[in-house]
Amino acid sequence: MQQLDGKLTRYEKIAFLGEGQFATVYKARDVLTDQIVAVKKIKIGSREEAQDGINRTALREIKLLHELQHENIIGLVDVFGHKSNVSLVFDFMDTDLEIIIKDPKIILTQANIKAYMIMTLRGLEYLHMNWILHRDLKPNNLLVNTDGVLKIGDFGLAKFFGSPNRIYTHQVVTRWYRAPELLFGARQYSTGIDIWAVGCILAELLLRVPFLPGDSDLDQLTKIFQALGTPTEETWPNLNKLPDYMQFKQFPAIPLQHIFTAAPDDLIVLAEKLLALNPVQRCTCTEALCMKYFSNKPAPSMGHKLPMPSSNKQAVEERPNLKRKLIDALEGGTVPKKLF
Amino acid sequence: MAGNFWQSSHSQQWILDRQDLIRERQYDLQVLSEDEYQKIFIFFANVIQVLGEQLKLRQQVIATATVYFKRFYARNSLKNIDPLLLAPTCILLASKVEEFGVISNSRLITICQSVIKSKFSYAYTQEFPYRTNHVLECEFYLLENLDCCLIVYQPYRPLLQLVQDMGQEEQLLTLSWRIVNDSLRTDVCLLYPPYQIAIACLQIACVILQKDSMKTWFAELNVDLEKVQEIVRAIVNLYELWKDWKEKDEIQMLLSKIPKPKPAPQR
Repeated sequence: MQQLDGKLTRYEKIAFLGEGQFATVYKARDVLTDQIVAVKKIKIGSREEAQDGINRTALREIKLLHELQHENIIGLVDVFGHKSNVSLVFDFMDTDLEIIIKDPKIILTQANIKAYMIMTLRGLEYLHMNWILHRDLKPNNLLVNTDGVLKIGDFGLAKFFGSPNRIYTHQVVTRWYRAPELLFGARQYSTGIDIWAVGCILAELLLRVPFLPGDSDLDQLTKIFQALGTPTEETWPNLNKLPDYMQFKQFPAIPLQHIFTAAPDDLIVLAEKLLALNPVQRCTCTEALCMKYFSNKPAPSMGHKLPMPSSNKQAVEERPNLKRKLIDALEGGTVPKKLF
Repeated sequence: MAGNFWQSSHSQQWILDRQDLIRERQYDLQVLSEDEYQKIFIFFANVIQVLGEQLKLRQQVIATATVYFKRFYARNSLKNIDPLLLAPTCILLASKVEEFGVISNSRLITICQSVIKSKFSYAYTQEFPYRTNHVLECEFYLLENLDCCLIVYQPYRPLLQLVQDMGQEEQLLTLSWRIVNDSLRTDVCLLYPPYQIAIACLQIACVILQKDSMKTWFAELNVDLEKVQEIVRAIVNLYELWKDWKEKDEIQMLLSKIPKPKPAPQR
């Protein structure tokens, strides 16, 4: 038990970074190595939850991140705690894509967007190769450090996939990034749900506002179909067999060039494959990374050339995230997040 | 469990060396003979199996819980935590890791109480002494002693693939599956990768069923046969030990010999 108590003093709190429903996150210094880390202290919830022992979400992160090692996946450095009260220690990341997208002072060039997309897809490809679905990709979970390295974070919802008959909950992924099959209640889904989220993130990098900000599940589907056209039995066979299927008004698809007016053609081709309505037609990470967009000019920005928010600290404090959290809480359809 | 075994924590951190294992057990082996030590672990593997069955867990979860149990004592003396407390704790943690729905702690304790009374009264004359708070306290200690390595690869999946490759029928699978279950009562899960254990169990099953025609299939395997033979020997030894063991008569005496933990600190 000595080892355990020792760890409680190993991490010296520097600053409060944020708070979600499950955890509080601090910036801290590892006194042994002098490294800066992020300590995610899991909250002990209700009495009932406390009776359940070590928090399941935390356990999921521990079990998966302990097996994963990739430049574009957040590293779990350490775990410490006392009884069921667990803290996870992560690589410290200075900012995230949500902050970068919302910072009006930052200019996102085509080269910058390409760099973020490559790093996201590489991390995700590695996850999918290890049969893991992330299930909660959004700009807020794509963490970026001052070296310009992007790492996928927050594995509280991640899960192994591949068992053909396994039934999964469809209540995953923050609504704006949720694939249409999930919104129609699909219980058997695959890597396509993460790919769809990447498509939405690419769109958000271009537009600088969320691409499909639905305010209910129904509105989410409407927004998707208004932009990409309502799917039919021909474009998406067996669509009407999904559990929560309902018929929507026939919207015509808007050509993506008209939505992303400044985007080059090779990017449009990529976006079309990421945002294919029928999950079977969506590309995989590996296929995406092989597309022309990534080998054509301009070359992706090198790490240190990627922009950082002018004042990191300020950005965290001014984070206008409350409204979205409130909307989500009202709808109950999302998973509360830590704020890095 | 999916993923890549060769890059897993199981492969890199938890395939132990036999010498290390013997060294770690030195303290307990001053009090217990090697046979006695193994008998105690056979008994607790049974406790975990029965608890798991009562909780209607899949065999995968039961096997993971058993491996956690063995990994813990691969680094700790029996005196550090009472195995009767660690057994249900391993079940709780394994059921969460394998995403087996929710086992409430109160249900776990209730099942422990009834199982000890109905199935293991020959070993324990008194009631199951632990409560939820003991299990919860033990859970983190277990997690830490496992070095947070939670994903355990089991021989069941490779076994299915191998039997399919052999083109063999149900009978062989059923028997070798049971031998894999039995192998959890030896140290092989701490010493060898799961695919080798699967091959060894298949080989034993083929001998029992007198499937001589499978010899060429085994001969063509690209696997370290030396290792496979070590596993076979360990499992055959288990059966030898089992044959002469009168668990019901001896277990109380054995349990009383276990070095006891210090009384838990009051918090």
